[in-house]
Amino acid sequence: MFKRHQNFALLILFLALFAFFSFFTRRFFSAPNIEDILSGYSFMAILAVGQAFPIMTRGLDLSIGSNVGLGAMILFDLDKVFHLPGWASIPISVTACALAGCVNGLLVTQLKLQPFVATLATLAAFRGTVYAVSGRQLYPELATQSVKDPWIRSLEGFLDIGHLTGLSRFVRLPSLPFSFLALLVVAVLAHVVLNRTRLGLNLKTVGGNPEAAHLAGVSVRRTQIVAYLACGLCAGIVAVLLVARFTTATEATGTGMELTTIAAAVIGGVTLRGGSGTVAGPILGAFLLGIILIGLTLMGISQFTQQILTGAILLGAVYYDRLTSDRQKSASGGVA
Amino acid sequence: MTAVNAPTLLRATGVSKSYGSLEVLHPIEFSIKAGEVRGLVGSNGAGKSTLIKILTGAHRPSAGDVWLNGRRLQLGNPHLMMDQGIACIYQHSSLVPSLSVLDNIFLGRQPTTRFGFLDRRTQLQAAQKLVAEYRIELDLLEKVESLSTVKQKEVEILKALALRSCLILMDEPTAWLSHSEVRKLHATIDTLRSRNIAVVYVSHVLDEVFDICDSISIMRDGAIVWEGPTTSIDRPRLINIMVGEKLGKASLESLEQKRKPRGTGDIRLSCHALARRNIFSDVSFDLYSGEILCFAGLVGAGRSDVVHAIFGAAQLDDGALQLNGEAHRFRSPKEAILAGIGLVPEDRRRDGLLLAHSVADNLVLAALKKVSRSGFLSQKRRRGLALRQIRNLNILPSNPDRVVSVLSGGNQQKVLIGRWLETAPTVLILDEPTVGIDVGAKAEIYGQLRALRDEGRAVLVISSDLEEVLTIADRIAVMAEGKLVSIHDAGAVSREELIAKIGGD
Amino acid sequence: MTSRDEQPGNGNRRNFLKSAAYGTVAIGAGLTGPEVLSSSIGQARAATDKNLKMSFIQFLPHTVPAAWSKGIEDVLLKQGNIEYQLLDGQAKIEVQISLMDTQINDGVNVIFLQPVDSVAIGPSIAKARRAGIPVITLNIDAVEDHAAHVEMSHYAGAMDIAKAMGAALGGKGKVAIINAPPGIVIRDQRTNGFVDGLKKYHPNIQIVADQPADWDRKKAQEVFTTILAAHPDVAGAFGVNDSMALGVVDVARDKGLLGKLVVFGDDGEKDALESIEKGELTGTQYTDVYQQGRFAAAAATVIASGGVDASSFHSKGHLLIPYIIATKETVGQIQPNQRW
Repeated sequence: MFKRHQNFALLILFLALFAFFSFFTRRFFSAPNIEDILSGYSFMAILAVGQAFPIMTRGLDLSIGSNVGLGAMILFDLDKVFHLPGWASIPISVTACALAGCVNGLLVTQLKLQPFVATLATLAAFRGTVYAVSGRQLYPELATQSVKDPWIRSLEGFLDIGHLTGLSRFVRLPSLPFSFLALLVVAVLAHVVLNRTRLGLNLKTVGGNPEAAHLAGVSVRRTQIVAYLACGLCAGIVAVLLVARFTTATEATGTGMELTTIAAAVIGGVTLRGGSGTVAGPILGAFLLGIILIGLTLMGISQFTQQILTGAILLGAVYYDRLTSDRQKSASGGVA
Repeated sequence: MTAVNAPTLLRATGVSKSYGSLEVLHPIEFSIKAGEVRGLVGSNGAGKSTLIKILTGAHRPSAGDVWLNGRRLQLGNPHLMMDQGIACIYQHSSLVPSLSVLDNIFLGRQPTTRFGFLDRRTQLQAAQKLVAEYRIELDLLEKVESLSTVKQKEVEILKALALRSCLILMDEPTAWLSHSEVRKLHATIDTLRSRNIAVVYVSHVLDEVFDICDSISIMRDGAIVWEGPTTSIDRPRLINIMVGEKLGKASLESLEQKRKPRGTGDIRLSCHALARRNIFSDVSFDLYSGEILCFAGLVGAGRSDVVHAIFGAAQLDDGALQLNGEAHRFRSPKEAILAGIGLVPEDRRRDGLLLAHSVADNLVLAALKKVSRSGFLSQKRRRGLALRQIRNLNILPSNPDRVVSVLSGGNQQKVLIGRWLETAPTVLILDEPTVGIDVGAKAEIYGQLRALRDEGRAVLVISSDLEEVLTIADRIAVMAEGKLVSIHDAGAVSREELIAKIGGD
Repeated sequence: MTSRDEQPGNGNRRNFLKSAAYGTVAIGAGLTGPEVLSSSIGQARAATDKNLKMSFIQFLPHTVPAAWSKGIEDVLLKQGNIEYQLLDGQAKIEVQISLMDTQINDGVNVIFLQPVDSVAIGPSIAKARRAGIPVITLNIDAVEDHAAHVEMSHYAGAMDIAKAMGAALGGKGKVAIINAPPGIVIRDQRTNGFVDGLKKYHPNIQIVADQPADWDRKKAQEVFTTILAAHPDVAGAFGVNDSMALGVVDVARDKGLLGKLVVFGDDGEKDALESIEKGELTGTQYTDVYQQGRFAAAAATVIASGGVDASSFHSKGHLLIPYIIATKETVGQIQPNQRW
């Protein structure tokens, strides 16, 4: 409301890159490609939103990728080993991920571990658990079978907005993948929680000044636990979406995603110093990384260059954040 | 001033605090009336913080009771104390910089609607009412991080008022404020007084205490040793009671020290028309060996920027710099240090000290060359150097292996000064050397600075504390809005003249 | 080159070289040189004037896909009208899926694919089929039906390995499998072939351990060290690829077990062949991977130039390529330009 265009610069960069790729690559600005971007990066955007919560409280969750892997494998096991129907297995898997997030929160608050260390430990522990409970390792014949549960498979559907709105007669609109609709729901919920509830304000308070939060009667621990739990919840939602997309769960599902999500959140203006952040920022950050990767692939530029560029944008974002916060500091006359 | 027969608001009886067998606060009696502003003074370790912490609920006393409005309080719970009407404004901000003023005022207790959502309208109305009632000018929707320091203090006061507090404790509230800002804060305190709110004002700056407080409590060695109306005590007596006869005398004597403008007459550092775009311009002065030159001015007048530019830590766009008659332009602090300049920065916790490291590590930092042989540190020399400075500067505790962060502010400052003494700089610059340091330690530091001067070094001190400037300066340079306004011999200028020059209206 | 030093009694090798020669004739992509090759497909080029695009999405950078890519390039880049691109799946299925998406959207004519996961890539292959793009998998098959799968027979090869290993062990003893992670068809083929081979030829040999080491030499060192601690009397090890087998060799070297431990790999990469020559690795299933790439590329040109649509494949075609079991005796016959 009174945030004065926090994501303005990011939005400009996003639009500029979008225009650039639309202009310089043949198929970038086409309905199928936009579908690809939406279905390929909506899950990353959901994770970036989840990652924003712990970062806002001055923490971070390195285990988010392993947690996704864990949720996916639990869902796979429930389907292929225990033959549970999707309406039961999906909520169980999501709950398991939320609990795993809760474990992170407890490690950080009760054992007073540094978030980096605590979630680095669970990064390894969750991944180990994935291997331990992997139905594909325990029953090798399951490894080459796909998940056929109609509840799960229906999550990889598309919403044909062109047809629904009747606009398909004039222009080919991209169909919206279900994962994008899930992202919209997550984004609206997260936005409301963050800006319209005391919990959201507490998250920023704890991140902005933990001592002040404590003195103001905000339960710092509970708020931190909720942040990690929310992160786990997002991991669970993504786990389900990925199983629907892959029709299986691999032991490596989610590997390396933690860094991408942190990058997306930071590019989206969620500072690692804690205390501030929006929901739109990380989503925009995730899709920014997405269009860069897809745009450059379409341009035929090597993937190593793409990774270098991603790193450069991350550095740029952090530097920009630094620059604006310095400007604010000097505006407040804090330095003599 | 307070009505003499106002009702007693808070009364503490027989309150004490011990850790094991060590009693840090002896049983004390303390009471304050509604609408009274009480100054609480004492050296570091006198027990002020312990008393404050008991009143905020951060500590539970070993014995004793506290009564508020005739009701006995349950102690040792910060939230309960806040609910009962005792608020505290700490030296370090307890605001959340990234949130708006409005959200900070209601931190942790924002009103919500029936459905659990934040009730912005009620919140805004309540805040507007407070702002109007206490005549505080604030943009409620502004983020706290973009406010000036004094505005932030006012937000903290509003936060206390929103809790319907009847007693506000202020711990060193002016530590980072300029003169005009202090005046603004005192005006706000006056308003509080007129609304029957009691204030406990803890400060090392005695001028302020005499200025704003109705009454004073002096603490020493864990006890209240004197209590009475401000009108019944004068400054020398207060210092004597506070720090004891000997130190008090030293402190008073330092006021009557002989001034040595232009010291030995040799120019050490000569600056001509220094300028940095949009920050400062036309700064010209000479610094002589054997003198203390004080830079007085408001926070933000550009004084720190000038010395940082001289030291090579910030950009210098224009002007000429001569050290010992030779032209220089330092591009990094390293070059300046090699040429013989030392700088003790303003925020010692942020810019100066390695907080997690030992006293010895911090002392040898600038003199690593001296304690190392072909790149390797000599432990023996390191220890020798550290012990020498600890003795020289009376750093307490005198253990070189103690971690710096546990030292008091005064001793931390001594460590910083000691660090530079080993490199024997010809020019030593100190930026706000005594912020947050008690009177006794201040006197020691002043003594050290004079000793350095008498050794023939050139000392440049930036200070926003006029009391300090008038105490130690041989000459005074006044800066305002990025310009060097005037330079005076210390004996030949009055306090009022200086204030006028500084522009603190 | 097939005629040099043929010795009686080495039927295995002769068969291999003979079939390699047939392959050369069949598609004109001989080991003898690209001149033959370009002239023979020249006609196809004349027939299809339009430009073609093909991409290869690899598992992760490794000697095997690198050699395939080189083989594919040998064929495609000579044609002048074919644009070819190697893309890296970074060993992540979601990366491969995203790359599949962009390639499909980009309208390539053929996608070569080495899937990270045989099941998870399925929806992407189905999507490619809907877009009419044929997908050719290399070595690692996908569960979803696609145009063609180019491989040496992993099952038969692993049986041969079991036979050779059993012979080297004298028909008894304990062996371990250093395996790939599950979810990849090739793992099942090689594992089953090895297990069935032992059952058939050497029923007295006991498999005491079967643990995944993620195709990785370092990981295999750790895994085999643990196995060795649990079973000090283990006498043989089968690495499901050469990297993992070489990891076992590293451990054997450290523990002074070289020469005592019978170690077989699979694939036949250059390092493995050298190790066999040094007498460290016992043997491996070798195939000419350059050649395999050329086979795949040749098949792709046939499909693309023939205007064959992906939907016209009713089930997956298999393109089998020859192999030999390389051991100390046979390894010398593999020419330098056949090594990858």
